[in-house]
Amino acid sequence: MRRGERPLLLLPRPLLLAFLVLFACQLLYHHASRAQMALNYQALDRPLSAPVYRGIAMGSEQLLGYLMAIRLQLHDNQAGQHFRYDLIDYAVLADWLELISQISPHSEYSMLLASRIYTQTSDPQQLHLMLDFIERQFGANPQLHWRRLAEASLIAKHKLHDLDLALQMAEKIARQPASVQMPQWARDFRFLLLAELNEFESAIAIIQALLQSDVVDDPDEKRFLQEKLLDFQQKLLDNQQSTNN
Amino acid sequence: MHSQTISLFRFLMLGILSKRLLVLLAIMVLGAVLSGSFINELAIINGAAIQTAFVADFLRYSLALLTLLMIATSVAEDYESRQFERLLTMPLARWQYIVAQTLVIACLCFLLNLPVALLVSLYGDAAVGFYWAAALWLELFLLGVLGLLAILSLEKIPQAVMFSLAIYLLAKFSGLISLMLTESVKLSEGSVSSRVIEFIFGAILYVIPGSRTFAQNDVFFASQDLIAMLASQFASVSIYALFLLAVCLIDFYRKEFNL
Repeated sequence: MRRGERPLLLLPRPLLLAFLVLFACQLLYHHASRAQMALNYQALDRPLSAPVYRGIAMGSEQLLGYLMAIRLQLHDNQAGQHFRYDLIDYAVLADWLELISQISPHSEYSMLLASRIYTQTSDPQQLHLMLDFIERQFGANPQLHWRRLAEASLIAKHKLHDLDLALQMAEKIARQPASVQMPQWARDFRFLLLAELNEFESAIAIIQALLQSDVVDDPDEKRFLQEKLLDFQQKLLDNQQSTNN
Repeated sequence: MHSQTISLFRFLMLGILSKRLLVLLAIMVLGAVLSGSFINELAIINGAAIQTAFVADFLRYSLALLTLLMIATSVAEDYESRQFERLLTMPLARWQYIVAQTLVIACLCFLLNLPVALLVSLYGDAAVGFYWAAALWLELFLLGVLGLLAILSLEKIPQAVMFSLAIYLLAKFSGLISLMLTESVKLSEGSVSSRVIEFIFGAILYVIPGSRTFAQNDVFFASQDLIAMLASQFASVSIYALFLLAVCLIDFYRKEFNL
């Protein structure tokens, strides 16, 4: 049987008053601790030069590079608190990532942190800094970093809504010589983005060049390109007709 | 003569084994395994390689300290209990004590390296595990001989351990120190004092172990010519260890004991 309840206003006034005061205290305390939390954040120090860290590594440069990357990855967790990425100085962060790449040049860790972790920020400027870093590092070792540049291109398109930057990155991937081994879809990004930019003529020209060359030998890939070619030709025709009308 | 040396070696080795060596070794291996697993949990990629490299380096530095302490304690006890005076009244030459201690260091390093070889092979590739065990044996052996020289000369454990660690770390940080000195010459616009210090350190580098005498941790991340690396380290350690043993002999023969 459900027990009946008395209306709140019938409760003793001091009790109600105490409840309201304590509720207000709780809200104020939470607000103050949030502000304090941001104050408690220990910013990243600027890194020293790579030769210094190589000297400190005592011959274990690769291991030190990885441990530094793990340390950096944990930077947003301080004294049991998780801090927002917006608090991090991304210029210093990019310096650290660059340093780690110099110490462990054959490691993907810093690029992975840049493309998967630190691109979670909502600040476009911070995002640009990370994408710039990825673009720079890709030039140093395209074979190792093509996946990260492909991810960066997607981030530029979907998160920054900067199709020109996305296309610039996609073109960098597509321009790599055949000696850089990567799946054809990574190179195909370029014409897909061109189509998004309504640059159907350029996209069609690229697909036709690809189909006429011996670069694509996979039948599924050829079928995909042929479908895209027809699709883009149709869209181009539709565009021309709508312009004439 | 050989049988006397072997008997002395057995006696010294038993002394080392009675110092709870296996318990200490088990604690170090446990510490390495636990901290390695923690690192593996944190890593986003290459967790296994980072864990193996971390465990290998953790064991390298803990075993280096353990080796130094064992050797220093063993010889210091011989000094304290007037063992040398007793030994020298027997038909034993001083070089036999040094040979016996060298054998003890070699066996101790072998014993300490057994779990390392097993652990690193379990975590990673067996070939890399074998390389690391062999390279670490060479590194620990060299450090053990350095510790032997230090304790024979200084006779006190703290001084001997500190001296050996200082030389070991100086060799490890020689690259960093050289870099700092080069930068200081540049910053002081080539001042004479900076140049003199740089020259002195350059001269010191000739008598401390080079970077080739140490196990290379980078093998856990990239395939390398392990045999060539091991051969180079073996040559480097052989020359330096023989040099240290010669200094040990000179120092030991110069010592006066009240027989």
